[in-house]
Amino acid sequence: MFASTTSVALVGVDPRPVRVEVHVGGGGARFSLVGLPDTAVREAKERVQAALASSGYEWPSRTVTVSLAPADLPKAGSAYDLPIALGVLAASGVIDKSATDVVALGELALDGSLRAPRGGLAAAQVARDQQVPVVVSVDSYHEAALVTDVDLRPARTLREAIDVAIGGGSSVNVPAATQPTVERPVDLSEVRGQATARRALEIAAAGGHHLLLSGPPGSGKTMLARCLPGVLPPLDDGAALAAAQAWAAAGLPRSETRLSPFRSPHHSITLAALVGGGNGLPGPGEVTLAHHGVLFLDELGEFPSHLLDALRQPLEEGYVDVARRSGSVRFPSQLQLVAATNPCPCGHSGDARTACRCSPGAVERYRRRLSGPLLDRFDLRVTVSAVEATDLAAPPSESSAQVAARVAVARLHQQQRGTLNARMGRQALDDLAVDDEAASLLRSAFDQLRLTGRGWDRVRRVARTVADLADSNAISGSHMAEALALRGSW
Amino acid sequence: MSAPARLVLASTGIHPERSRQLRQEIGAEMALEQLASGRLRASARVRTAAAADAVAISDRLQRVGVRAIFRGAPDFPTLLGHLPDAPDVLFLRGSLPSVPAVAIVGTRRCTGYGRNLARAMGAEIAAVGWATVSGLARGIDIAAHQGTLDGAGVGVAVLGSGPDVWYPREHRSIGLDLATKGGVLSEYPLGAPPEPWRFPVRNRIISGLAEAVVVVEAAVKGGALITARTALDQGVPVFAVPGDVDRPSSEGCNLLIRDGAHPVLGVADLIEELSLVMGRPPLVPLAAGGTPLLEALGETGSTADTVAAALDLPIGEVLGDLARLEASGTVRRDGDLYSWARRSA
Repeated sequence: MFASTTSVALVGVDPRPVRVEVHVGGGGARFSLVGLPDTAVREAKERVQAALASSGYEWPSRTVTVSLAPADLPKAGSAYDLPIALGVLAASGVIDKSATDVVALGELALDGSLRAPRGGLAAAQVARDQQVPVVVSVDSYHEAALVTDVDLRPARTLREAIDVAIGGGSSVNVPAATQPTVERPVDLSEVRGQATARRALEIAAAGGHHLLLSGPPGSGKTMLARCLPGVLPPLDDGAALAAAQAWAAAGLPRSETRLSPFRSPHHSITLAALVGGGNGLPGPGEVTLAHHGVLFLDELGEFPSHLLDALRQPLEEGYVDVARRSGSVRFPSQLQLVAATNPCPCGHSGDARTACRCSPGAVERYRRRLSGPLLDRFDLRVTVSAVEATDLAAPPSESSAQVAARVAVARLHQQQRGTLNARMGRQALDDLAVDDEAASLLRSAFDQLRLTGRGWDRVRRVARTVADLADSNAISGSHMAEALALRGSW
Repeated sequence: MSAPARLVLASTGIHPERSRQLRQEIGAEMALEQLASGRLRASARVRTAAAADAVAISDRLQRVGVRAIFRGAPDFPTLLGHLPDAPDVLFLRGSLPSVPAVAIVGTRRCTGYGRNLARAMGAEIAAVGWATVSGLARGIDIAAHQGTLDGAGVGVAVLGSGPDVWYPREHRSIGLDLATKGGVLSEYPLGAPPEPWRFPVRNRIISGLAEAVVVVEAAVKGGALITARTALDQGVPVFAVPGDVDRPSSEGCNLLIRDGAHPVLGVADLIEELSLVMGRPPLVPLAAGGTPLLEALGETGSTADTVAAALDLPIGEVLGDLARLEASGTVRRDGDLYSWARRSA
């Protein structure tokens, strides 16, 4: 008469178990579905009825009540078709009750075949926590397989799903992983010239520093930024899972799970798409898709100021809260920001070869838009020069792998100290070991170069990373000097 | 013609050429009378100004620290005084240099290369003890003035507006600096707005004050080429910086070179060539260079990337060394361009 199966709902990117309880009894062929379902969930009845018929089962001619618990958690999508079908069949005694001792997730087609909605990864996580098997569509297999220590049972149809739910060991063949949807990073060996910018990229990767690239159009800023994921160390288990979880919540599969995500939203993006939100259940935004990866903002000056303001919380806290009537949902967003900008509206200010067509007032206004709190976040600010013909003829430079090896060493130093250099606070910075030359250089820079207090902190953070790259415990004068050179001039 | 009438006539702000014709044909007193009465066609403002009192005008000039210098007076610039179309009265803030002057002019829409070069020239000319003259306009002009101040030299800015009107406004502080360390000069009266026609006319004063004119970057049409042409008419030698043949901001300079201007091959070369025209410079140039790194930067400066490639050193090392030099004030940075800093003021 009664059966219950477990399924899953997403709150932000986090999985929450949902009990799918089914009661079959009483007279009259009625159906009711309770527990804050959205339209797609409501339509489950039609799909499940048809799928049961196609699979050779009969819909009970009694009152069917389905409850999705907890009742106050909003549920969306077609993922509950499979647990509802299992519950209906078990409650009406058609199949064995043991079929419901699983976490089940899947949308049923009218012919009884099983499709993959969002949440395959989340279902596997719930199954791991509850120590029960998980039944999903074969199409969810690769996503769910990211979770280790779980009894994963893929199925192609409702009948197969029932078999594997009862019988255990699956004989279903799983198709090979689909083509990677993550763009391969550009290899640094393809970047000609740009020695300063390459060096800045290496330091940014080693210390996790936010990086601002400024330069004329066509100088290769975007290409440089696209190199960053290839230089960053591979994600560890926790980070890979967290990144995959963020992508899965947006319905995007991640196949290159060890590669840092790279997102480059256009400046016409909406606020909801950037930081998360949207109609109905809030979904993750670009800052969350860049969790444990890189958010690249090309033409930073073109982004409306309300979008730049909205980046403050993710950059400061590493997460973003999206407010809803029923309370706010938190999305993770620990990201490394890389931004590119022209030095002025026409892009040629400071260019040695092409005249700038902007009035000084326009240049000033353009830079002022970028200044302030956001600009302060960039530890590294470099000017990328226009590419010279001699650079193009030069032999290929170092590859990403060579740079990544040095970055890995620098990261090791930071792991031992327990914090990424980019996240060092004032206290940690004051405790840094700095030799005499470095200290006096920093003092004279303070006077001569009119360094601000924040600038002072930035230079020390970067100097620490330069020292890590050089495998050195103390910050020497040379390390400090190089950090000063990369602090940016405006 | 009496001095008060000449002062009042100059203070009407009418076109210098019209003023010259009126003075020659009917004299300043008669011209004022006819302007004020309306017998000569004039705007309401000019009519009022023509009726003004000379004493009131000199009081106002004194209050804002501006001095009127009459042509023919001993303190009127000698070279300028020889020109047939020299202004009758000059309004001066500060003082005029006693040393020979070089005019540095160029386009307002200059490249970073031009700006750096003009600044380096201004500084080097200041360092050897000559004065510079320019027009306080955007681009090359202001870079040359900045260079003059970098080199603690004497500079003169010739304005296309009244001596108390700063155009463009953001050049006010540099203008005030020049007024204390040199002079700010105008043939237009107090409050004269920066109307477009005033600028080409004042260019004859820029070249008239200088022993040589250097054109750094100039388009085919523009004030810089007007200055060069008046200089040639006045018999003042013209120097031009050659540039890419396909770059609009160099077309004017290349044209001048084809027409016989001296090409400038570098800052040191310019000083040498100028010495032939102007005589030995009063001071010895500051030694520039000294280390391979400074040599590699060169006269017009270059990027860290270029220096690292030229010296075959790791970029990190070059960046560090440049930052050290910047912190010690030896090297200056503008964007990604590093160049020699000049003797600071």
